[in-house]
Amino acid sequence: MPLRPDTVAKIQDYARRYPSAQSAILPALWAVQYEQGYVTDEALAEVATHLKLPPSLIEATSSFYSMFLTRPEGRHEVMICVNAPCMLRGADAIVAYAEQRLGIRDGQTTSDGAITLRSTIECLGACGGAPMMQVDHRFEENLTPDRINAIFDHLRTAPAFHEQPPAEKKPARRTPTVSGEITRSGPSGARARTRKASK
Amino acid sequence: MASTVVTDQVTLTVNGQSVTVPKGTLILDAAKKIGIDIPIFCSHPKMAPVAVCRMCLVEVEKMPKLQPACAVYVADGMVVRTTTEQVQKYQKGVLEFLLINHPLDCPICDKGGECPLQDQTYQYGPGASRFDFEKAHFDKAVPLSDKIVLDRERCILCWRCTRFSEEISGERELALIQRGVHTIIGTFNDEPAQSNYQGNWTEICPVGALTSREYRFISRPWDLDRTASICPGCSMGCNIQVDARHNRIGRFQSRENLAVDDGWLCDFGRYSFPTFQRQGFEAPRVRQDGKLVEVSFEEAIAAAADGLAQARGAVAGWASPAATNEELFLFQRLFRQRLQSPHIDHRAFRPTWPDPDPDDMTLPIADLERCDYVVVLGGQEVIDAAPVLHLRLFKSERRGVKVLKIDAEQGARAREWVPADAQAVGILATVSHKKEATDLQAALGKKVKGSVRRLLVVRGPNGRGANDLGILPNFRPGYEGLNGQSGKGRAEWGKGGIGAAYIFEASPLHAFEATEDERRWLSGLKTLVMHRFRASPLDDLAHVIIPGRAFTEKAGTVTNMEGRVQRIGRAIDADAVPDDWMVLQAIARKLGAPWDYHESSDITADLLDLIPQYAAVDRGERVLWSERT
Repeated sequence: MPLRPDTVAKIQDYARRYPSAQSAILPALWAVQYEQGYVTDEALAEVATHLKLPPSLIEATSSFYSMFLTRPEGRHEVMICVNAPCMLRGADAIVAYAEQRLGIRDGQTTSDGAITLRSTIECLGACGGAPMMQVDHRFEENLTPDRINAIFDHLRTAPAFHEQPPAEKKPARRTPTVSGEITRSGPSGARARTRKASK
Repeated sequence: MASTVVTDQVTLTVNGQSVTVPKGTLILDAAKKIGIDIPIFCSHPKMAPVAVCRMCLVEVEKMPKLQPACAVYVADGMVVRTTTEQVQKYQKGVLEFLLINHPLDCPICDKGGECPLQDQTYQYGPGASRFDFEKAHFDKAVPLSDKIVLDRERCILCWRCTRFSEEISGERELALIQRGVHTIIGTFNDEPAQSNYQGNWTEICPVGALTSREYRFISRPWDLDRTASICPGCSMGCNIQVDARHNRIGRFQSRENLAVDDGWLCDFGRYSFPTFQRQGFEAPRVRQDGKLVEVSFEEAIAAAADGLAQARGAVAGWASPAATNEELFLFQRLFRQRLQSPHIDHRAFRPTWPDPDPDDMTLPIADLERCDYVVVLGGQEVIDAAPVLHLRLFKSERRGVKVLKIDAEQGARAREWVPADAQAVGILATVSHKKEATDLQAALGKKVKGSVRRLLVVRGPNGRGANDLGILPNFRPGYEGLNGQSGKGRAEWGKGGIGAAYIFEASPLHAFEATEDERRWLSGLKTLVMHRFRASPLDDLAHVIIPGRAFTEKAGTVTNMEGRVQRIGRAIDADAVPDDWMVLQAIARKLGAPWDYHESSDITADLLDLIPQYAAVDRGERVLWSERT
């Protein structure tokens, strides 16, 4: 399946942003995975052509990083962080709950093909909202069993990320929230407001 | 002046011994200079340091931890120790780690006996492993291409092959795939490797991971008979070592000559050796009543001498540009003095050829690195004619030399491309585009300030020698004219007046390769003598067939494209077949010549009398025609 023209345009744009085309490999691979859901050998060859780099280098890079999928898995990818800060905030219980709720273990996909669960990933850098997980390309923070239920229920019916219309892929689009929960940290959250006030 | 020299030098001590080396030297090389051996796997003198194997860790005073000698540059007053208890402990540790997953299949491994991992484990390693879990398993005997087999379990991830692919050949075909313990060496999408330089991977691999298919399970390295020689593949003249076992060629290995091959071979040359493998004894044959009949060598030689003499000067002689200088020297004497025929040639068929001259090689191969602009007139055609040139060009490019590869017809582009302030310009072309090359040289000579030199790639490992020795209708040895006594060149032989031909087809790689028209006139000759190593398509037209020797079965000298005279060695015994020069001598003696050579080196001595410049052979140097007196 050849890459869509808008993805190719993105890759060519990335190539122009760096002094060396090699620097554009990761963004280009992300663009491929955003469009197709996983990265085929055919797509690797295409990226090589667009970046004018040897295909061996593209494969070396994509195979180094475990987040680039080489075959289709569940429609949605749920990655629960279990590194130190999340662990201290109860990540192990969250993993156990998710496993029980989905009936699958790390690396497996639900029988309806909706969700692939991963719980052996390294820190995703959202420790401020621990415990957290990444759903497709979004962070879900301050997890509780209720929030997990709401997110999973939504994912059971939602189309795969790469099949959603481009407009819906904006980071602002969120899964349903449970009332009363703090669902977000970072620049637009509480900390950002404090910083503004102190000026 | 003297002060700059002093500040460029750095003095340090290694194991208590003082050594002075230029700034920017690695600890490893400084130690090597005073004979101190530091074990290495990933480090390679022709590649940038990566320090991934950790084998070369040494103690450096005032540095808190051990340092990799292959990646740390020397400093004034540095105190290095390579044999302390701590260093030895680390060496044992590194080897124990490397051997955790490395299979101990040395008894069935081609590398066993010439394996740095094996040798260094004996020298520096622990006697036993403490690791009693199952080893990690990977694919074995993976065909990486039609030339190379990869054993992924034996790979210790030194990156030498991937770095070769990136830094030496620039093709970047090999890469490290995956990560951590799962890391493997591979090509993109497991496609077969296409490179023409893959054999070099097997030579730089410090373990038995990358091995040659042609050499698989052929011999133990200590059983090989090794003979220094020159690659028969092309006119580059790469130095090789012919490794033989039971009088059969096992492989060609590189034999570093920095001025020629820089330590590398191309696969075309390296894997050409099966072409020179003898397939048993072949008897000479003579045509009697239309049929080829087996005869003795004496009878065949007599028949050849007889048939050639009967043509009374109307004899064409073609000698392969793969024959040695000694053979070519006798060949032209046989024709010019005994057969009274000036009709000799060594070239491929072409209606016209430009005359060769010594200026075709004023640019030595190694000087490509010292040019600031190099024009490859003919692009890939030139690389195909001498593939190792690509490695020299790529190395030059990495060092800042500007290289332009264009079609031979695009000389005008090159004239614009080279700026007037260029210091040293090189032009590379094949001999078939000599005119374009000389035109460009003349034009650039007027335009640029600096020097403009050319190097023409000729055909065959001794194509240059064939020119030097006058295997041409219009030149005597040493590029001396014939004062109106010129003979007919190959292109004119078919136009009549030739009654017999002697085709000395020394190498199957550089054969006569007759055109359809040539076959027609050859079939009309009264006598056609085929003197060749391997069956030729012209055999069915021949009246006399004299089996010859392979390139690997004779000794002598050959001259490469830049005029370097180098020796080839007899790696394989073929006593049942007379040496090619002996056949030439025997024919000449039948025709009354008083020649009495016993060794090919006797001929070399006579050759030197005629062309004193060839004395360069004893120094491995280039023939400098300007010295001609």
